[in-house]
Amino acid sequence: MDLQVARPISVESLRLRLTSAAELELAGSLATPTAQRELSEILTALHTRIVEQRIPLFTVDVRSLNFVNSSAIRVFVDWIARAESSAYKLTFITERGITWHRLSFSVLRSLAPSTVEVIEKNSAGVGGQAS
Amino acid sequence: MTEQRPTRPPERSLKLLHGGKAVEDARRMAELAVTCCDTECRQAASMAAWELAENLLKYGASDPTKSAGTIAISVDKNLVRVRTTNTVHSPNDARRVQETVSKISSSPSARDLYRERLLELFGDPAQHRAQLGLLRIAFEGSFKLSCSFEPPLLEIVAERSCAGQ
Repeated sequence: MDLQVARPISVESLRLRLTSAAELELAGSLATPTAQRELSEILTALHTRIVEQRIPLFTVDVRSLNFVNSSAIRVFVDWIARAESSAYKLTFITERGITWHRLSFSVLRSLAPSTVEVIEKNSAGVGGQAS
Repeated sequence: MTEQRPTRPPERSLKLLHGGKAVEDARRMAELAVTCCDTECRQAASMAAWELAENLLKYGASDPTKSAGTIAISVDKNLVRVRTTNTVHSPNDARRVQETVSKISSSPSARDLYRERLLELFGDPAQHRAQLGLLRIAFEGSFKLSCSFEPPLLEIVAERSCAGQ
């Protein structure tokens, strides 16, 4: 499945939308082996494109990604490892009101602090906090 | 005089069958059981039910004609409890689960254990299984885990307090 700018695609209850060459929105939920496998393949292709186009910073907006299972966390770990070895940065935009965002992304960032930035936003309020 | 037995709060329970939407059903059951709890507790219960149900289906009885195990959830006096029971044929499997639960429950920081596991995966992408479920229940869900094995039944209990009832 090829991801094109402004052409959203769905994998089961997961929705993906490339809003620009350097920003991806993930929404819905990611909890089945099929969705994980497909997302992994999409992200592998996306990673190749980021490297080929020499995009220095890629943003992933997960604010509407409400639910993932533990195996799906692995997808983010693998992407961060690839980004670090290819020397581009990943910025995750997270939602403060979602517990797994608040807790897991801070740990994910700690795996590669020079590669990962997390911007926490609060949909109930204004502004955000970067770490 | 009649002997008073300790009573368990009323539980919702579900036998998990392979195939279909068993894990989704377990999550929905948990969500219905905790509607009176605060947002954080609802998210935690939903996540714990999902992870425990997935573990039952992964590691429980593999006979598709039988249930992989049972998941139950109760809310009582500001305590949310998610409990799974399943039949374990190999005592070694049960011992491994008990060791994992014991390591998590005796650790002063579930976050540190979770990070340690993510670092392992980060350094070795070839590892087949994430094995993050129980860690996530303890870290993200703030659940306290315990485990018992009375052959052939293995029981895992995850409990957390809920301020929002």
